[in-house]
Amino acid sequence: MSPIAIIALIIGIPSLLLLAYVFARGSTGLRRYILTRIALTLPMIFILATMVFFILRILPGDPVTSALGPKGTPEMIQHIRATLGLNDPLIVQYGRFLWNMVTLRFGNSLVGGHRPIIDEMSERFPATLELIIPASILALLIGVYGGALAASKRKKTLDYSLRVYSVVIYSLPIFWFGLLLQLFFGVRLGWLPISGRIDAIIGTQLKTVTNIYSLDALLSGNWPAFFSVLEHLVLPTITLGLILSGVFLRMTRINVIETMQADFIGAARARGIRERILIYGHALKNAMIPVITLIGLQVAILLAGAVLTETVFSWPGMGSYLVERISARDYTAVQSVITVFAILVALISLAVDVIYSLVDPRVRY
Amino acid sequence: MNRQRLFVAAALLVVASMILSACGTAATPTVAPATQPPATAAPATVAPATAAPATVAPVATTPPAASNPDTIIIGTTDKLASLDAADAYATHDWEILRNISDGLVYMKPGTTDLAPDLATDMGKISPDGLTYTYTLRDGIKFGDGTPLTATIYAAQLNRLLTIGPKCPNDVADTLAVPYVKSITAPDDKTIVFQLTTPIAFFPQILAGGPYVATDPKTFKADACNLFPTAPVYGVGAWYISQYNADEQMVLLPNPYYTGPLKPQVKQIIVRFYSDPNTMALAVQSGEVDVAWRILSPDQLTSLKKVSGLTVGAINGGSIRYLVLNHTIKPYDDPNVVKAIASAVDRNAIADTVYAGQVTPLYSMIPPGFLGADESFDTMYSAPNVDQAKKYLEASGYSATNPVKLEMWYPPEHYGASTAAWMQLIKTQLEATGEIQVTLTSQEWSTYVPALTGGKSYGAGVLGWFFDYPDPSNYLDPFVFNRGEGTNVTIPATGSLTGTPINDKAKQLVALLNQADIETDLTKRADLYKQAQNLYADLVVTVPLFFNAEHIVYRSNIKGDANNAQPENLNIGPDILFFYSELSKSK
Repeated sequence: MSPIAIIALIIGIPSLLLLAYVFARGSTGLRRYILTRIALTLPMIFILATMVFFILRILPGDPVTSALGPKGTPEMIQHIRATLGLNDPLIVQYGRFLWNMVTLRFGNSLVGGHRPIIDEMSERFPATLELIIPASILALLIGVYGGALAASKRKKTLDYSLRVYSVVIYSLPIFWFGLLLQLFFGVRLGWLPISGRIDAIIGTQLKTVTNIYSLDALLSGNWPAFFSVLEHLVLPTITLGLILSGVFLRMTRINVIETMQADFIGAARARGIRERILIYGHALKNAMIPVITLIGLQVAILLAGAVLTETVFSWPGMGSYLVERISARDYTAVQSVITVFAILVALISLAVDVIYSLVDPRVRY
Repeated sequence: MNRQRLFVAAALLVVASMILSACGTAATPTVAPATQPPATAAPATVAPATAAPATVAPVATTPPAASNPDTIIIGTTDKLASLDAADAYATHDWEILRNISDGLVYMKPGTTDLAPDLATDMGKISPDGLTYTYTLRDGIKFGDGTPLTATIYAAQLNRLLTIGPKCPNDVADTLAVPYVKSITAPDDKTIVFQLTTPIAFFPQILAGGPYVATDPKTFKADACNLFPTAPVYGVGAWYISQYNADEQMVLLPNPYYTGPLKPQVKQIIVRFYSDPNTMALAVQSGEVDVAWRILSPDQLTSLKKVSGLTVGAINGGSIRYLVLNHTIKPYDDPNVVKAIASAVDRNAIADTVYAGQVTPLYSMIPPGFLGADESFDTMYSAPNVDQAKKYLEASGYSATNPVKLEMWYPPEHYGASTAAWMQLIKTQLEATGEIQVTLTSQEWSTYVPALTGGKSYGAGVLGWFFDYPDPSNYLDPFVFNRGEGTNVTIPATGSLTGTPINDKAKQLVALLNQADIETDLTKRADLYKQAQNLYADLVVTVPLFFNAEHIVYRSNIKGDANNAQPENLNIGPDILFFYSELSKSK
């Protein structure tokens, strides 16, 4: 079984269980809502994939001439184009693309080794997953607790500092911030590795199953590999996580402040409940609902951030893969990655809506 | 000061120190994470590390890669496109192929001198120059212990002639099919090449990646296998034990290797980088021992200042030149192209844009190659603005009636500095007062066919790197049959050379044809000198400068002092990096 299939199972089984739970326990309205969302997601992905297909063909450039350069004779170019099916009518290419998408085969890359896209994504997708999960957790931890802290110290130095932090960190270019961290912690102090997913030598002894190295290291009980993976995750996770944390921080702060003015907080305060419990035990819980919505909206930004973070840290994930293939005009690879990203965003957005209904019983569909 | 203020002050301190460290020159790290030694068994053939004189100050600490003396980690931004010798057509692909397998002949490390490798000698050439016969030396084995016979070798080489469209990178159509008629093995020791036409540079072609011995179990006769599953064996000093695409490749010594380039360490790891900046930081921090291809001039300038690193410059065969299309106005006017050749100041490009890291080029054949002669310097003494004006005025141009030129360039393919030096060329040409240049950039994959197709763009810039290190590969492609967009010959079906556009072009074609089959080196060099003069007179292209390739390595890495260019880790003008030349001290 390929790593991507294993990951699909790891993510898919809990998702299906969640969906089954919601269907079993949820209202008729919720069930109808989920079915409508799924029905709408399919044409959305289809429209997006179609747009990407045609935009790529309209853009100047060609994968064959791009790869061969001045040494490519017209005969060679024609021969390779024919081999890759690029001389077929556009409608035939489009039909082939759609069929490859539906069957999840994605076709073969048009450049380099002309490998199946599914194989290339099997190697790349787990790396991205390994990066964006801890980055999201870090962003949420800093954002939510920073926001609550800022709200609790409203109009004090700490509040101002955290607000400045949230604006500054969100405005920083990822590549610049990543480079700064590499120089300081990697080169100047020598504390942390600056590139790759695992130490080159330790990596030779890691047996991969899922291609999520931390998981593979745990499964095989390879502790040096596990710690090496964690070590390599630190700087990319901080880069991506901190940059995303700014939005969460501002959103949480505003919502906590608003909630703190609600009647039930006033009543609780009158009963003598301590301020700390009021904020973290009552206000924060209620303020989380818009934040959960924001998580769904931030997935697309997270993936866009991953593109830059992966490039800066030579992290061989989907983001750096996309950048490489766009410049090489590898139509099939670019189409496939964007479609996978679209599916991911749509699914997470759906999951957020479902979770939303579970978290807030007042929500009715 | 309360806790909150302390927190803010500490945060500001951290940010300030980070910014300061980003602005300053980075030093080597002081603390290194622990690493684990590889689990590989050392083969009997591994030789002790050679001692070579230190070239840089020692580093103060032991960074990750440097902590293991048995493993050398090489960083690169090159991507692997194919491991099938019948297909691979990229510098880095050939580098890996030549490390895991050998050909009949090879270029000695650090030079372009040919020497026998799998063959016992340099072979026998028939009097008509059409038959080359080689004898295999004894005891050649693949990494899994399978012996290599001439029959196996010839059968594998025949893939070049038969595999055709199954291989997408199509190296065979350039470096085998046009020259080789048949490859046979009359017995288990002898290989015979029958050529389609006599060519003096056939041994140079034989030394390239397509002619190495490949494993018939991995590379079948009727299929192209671009990325075989590891382990991948050849008959070279190393074999590929692991390969994670775009991440790293692990090479271990071939225990059956009996050739001249014995491994000095137990393991080589080639680490792939997507960003040259990250690779530059990785060699600084010690994550890699060697950073090889491709770092920008800015990165090299800053790395030269880092204690404990050596930056080697290899005068390789990568050149930049202006393509002038001789059938598009006004480049069809000999005076206009001569004026361009006279006005261009190559030294200004090298000094201003590249801070001296490129070398001005006055012939398409770079220095060091057979017959290389600085014809453009002799003929035009560029920059010579007065001479350029005379040429232009001879064609009726003046300050009030300037010649209008459209020039094109790709903005990124040859680095961001291309725009800077193309702008400089525009300024230099316009300094004549009789030329007006419109400079336009175009994305690479649109740019190439428009320029080399010979129909759309009149002038533009291109780079060239040889397929085989021979002067013919620096002149023939720009003259014969459309000539990469120069159009000094017009395509003619069934003709390798095309139809020359004038008498001088006809003479040039004849000279190049003669030089291609001349086996006497003195006579051949003389023919190329004549050809270069004619080439400069026609201004087929305007050679501008050649790039040195750069290698950056840490102070505990050494090349082989017994071979040429140990300071560049024995990489010669053919840009071939033999990993066996490397040794590492603690």
